[in-house]
Amino acid sequence: MKQIFVKPEKCIGCKSCEIACAVQHSKDKTLFSAVLQSPTPMKRLFVEAVETMKMPIICRHCEDAPCLDACISGCLYRDEKGFVRRKEERCIGCWTCIMVCPFGVITRDKEKHIAVKCDRCHELEIPACVNACPTYALVMTDVEELPKEKRRMVILTELKAAG
Amino acid sequence: MQYLIIGGSIAGISAARAIRNADLNAEITVVSGEKVKAYYRPIIPLLINRHKSEVDILYPDDPIEKYSANVIYEMVTGVDVQSKEVLLSSGRKIGFDRLLIATGGVPIIPDIPGIKGQGVFTLRTMEDAIRIRDAISDVKEAVVIGGGFVGIKAAMALKSLLDVTIIEKLQQILYQRLDSKGAEIIQNALKNEGIKILTNETIVEIIREAARIKALRLVSGNIINSDMVIVAIGVRPDIDIFKDSGIKISKGIQVNELLQTNISDIYAAGDVVEFKELLTGRPSVSGLWVNAMEMGRIAGMNMAGANIRYPGFLAVMNATEIADIPIVAVGIIEPKAGEYKTVTEDSTGSYKKFVFKDDLLVGALFIGDIKNAGIYTNLIKNQIPIRRMKERIIKGTISYVDFLKKI
Repeated sequence: MKQIFVKPEKCIGCKSCEIACAVQHSKDKTLFSAVLQSPTPMKRLFVEAVETMKMPIICRHCEDAPCLDACISGCLYRDEKGFVRRKEERCIGCWTCIMVCPFGVITRDKEKHIAVKCDRCHELEIPACVNACPTYALVMTDVEELPKEKRRMVILTELKAAG
Repeated sequence: MQYLIIGGSIAGISAARAIRNADLNAEITVVSGEKVKAYYRPIIPLLINRHKSEVDILYPDDPIEKYSANVIYEMVTGVDVQSKEVLLSSGRKIGFDRLLIATGGVPIIPDIPGIKGQGVFTLRTMEDAIRIRDAISDVKEAVVIGGGFVGIKAAMALKSLLDVTIIEKLQQILYQRLDSKGAEIIQNALKNEGIKILTNETIVEIIREAARIKALRLVSGNIINSDMVIVAIGVRPDIDIFKDSGIKISKGIQVNELLQTNISDIYAAGDVVEFKELLTGRPSVSGLWVNAMEMGRIAGMNMAGANIRYPGFLAVMNATEIADIPIVAVGIIEPKAGEYKTVTEDSTGSYKKFVFKDDLLVGALFIGDIKNAGIYTNLIKNQIPIRRMKERIIKGTISYVDFLKKI
């Protein structure tokens, strides 16, 4: 199965992924209506930086998801594709999921008093964030494909260095 | 292999899941003293003001069915560790190869004259919450004994329906969950919601008139009117039935790092267990749902043949929202001076506190702004050295990137 991979070395911190995420989770799913929507739609991933390293922090839909285990109201569940999603109407805003997510990718909807998290754009083949990334810092790849690609990159750099 | 689990709440459920994941052929039986399907215990206060119904708080997929377990709705009266049998209230006996004790906790009832009789409630089970809900129609003034999270949630559920007073023995509510400053913020918010709070106060007598509660005499000498008392001063491990079984007990059931009792085929998990607190190393009873879930998982895996060590639990690991104020408290919040250093960040709508010991973060409190709280929980729970992250921890700019940079 294809997964989202993050390549920090390619991220320029433009936050296109953040905007695309918020737009995808807005009412009409267009940028124009999204900016006018009140309250403005919320993003589910966060471009963070430490010194020179930038990268979007996204939900991993962990196999052993702490948020899913800790949910005290039966709101979070794993869907048939393996994504950790919400049954919005069950969320009571207890914030236990926020307390236990080591990635810090669950936030509060302050209007509705419910937790907000990535749903992996479950209805799209390619998630909005990946689709929006101009530098391919976010890509969809098969887990098996990744090491192959890494080896190719190492060889290319070595060849370049050798002239 | 016959697995028997005493207790159908979160520790028992997560053990059943772990056993099923490890052993497809396992025969799992859960004995539950509560005659209802599995439900989310932490949200029972929402039943009181009908914010949720009984059906709303049940698990969406019944875990007993999901993990193909058998369920027996009966009370356990004892365990015979020699013949490996559990005795039920009906007189029936059930054998086991491996047993998990996950009986949880029972509410502590203070010894006050007049406490026995109608009008006094606890809030531990779905049935308790329903009993309160059904009783409030002829109640005007309720008093909650205990300013912990359960007491506050009960008070919040009741306040739209009647007058509510919280009586707290100590000088602040939410002792050890919040520091004094944090408690003050929440106390003020609760007052704005119309809840009265009396600190440094206890009830010395419940005055009744023709069996009905009429008033409460307080240690200060004051008398307050009340016709309902909710006792929420904490729970103690539910161990009475194991007392003469040969299973080692002190405050709770004693277990080793595998969550195994002194009898090798008997394990224990959740609020019934006494085990070391992660940060202080002190033998403690947890009382927290998230810890019970984790203990149940590890005990279940070990019962099914794994060898996973439980490092201990955090005595404080709470998230909630009270009167529209989100709160997360993890670890040591109000340390004794000396080896700990504390930093507070106080701004409009947000109060934060961080407690450090040497190169470790050992406590974090967020009131108002709980963004990224999980990153802090991870640092505390896994005792990750903070090195150059300290300033970013305090400023709140820390992110998962910090861990990748390995600084």
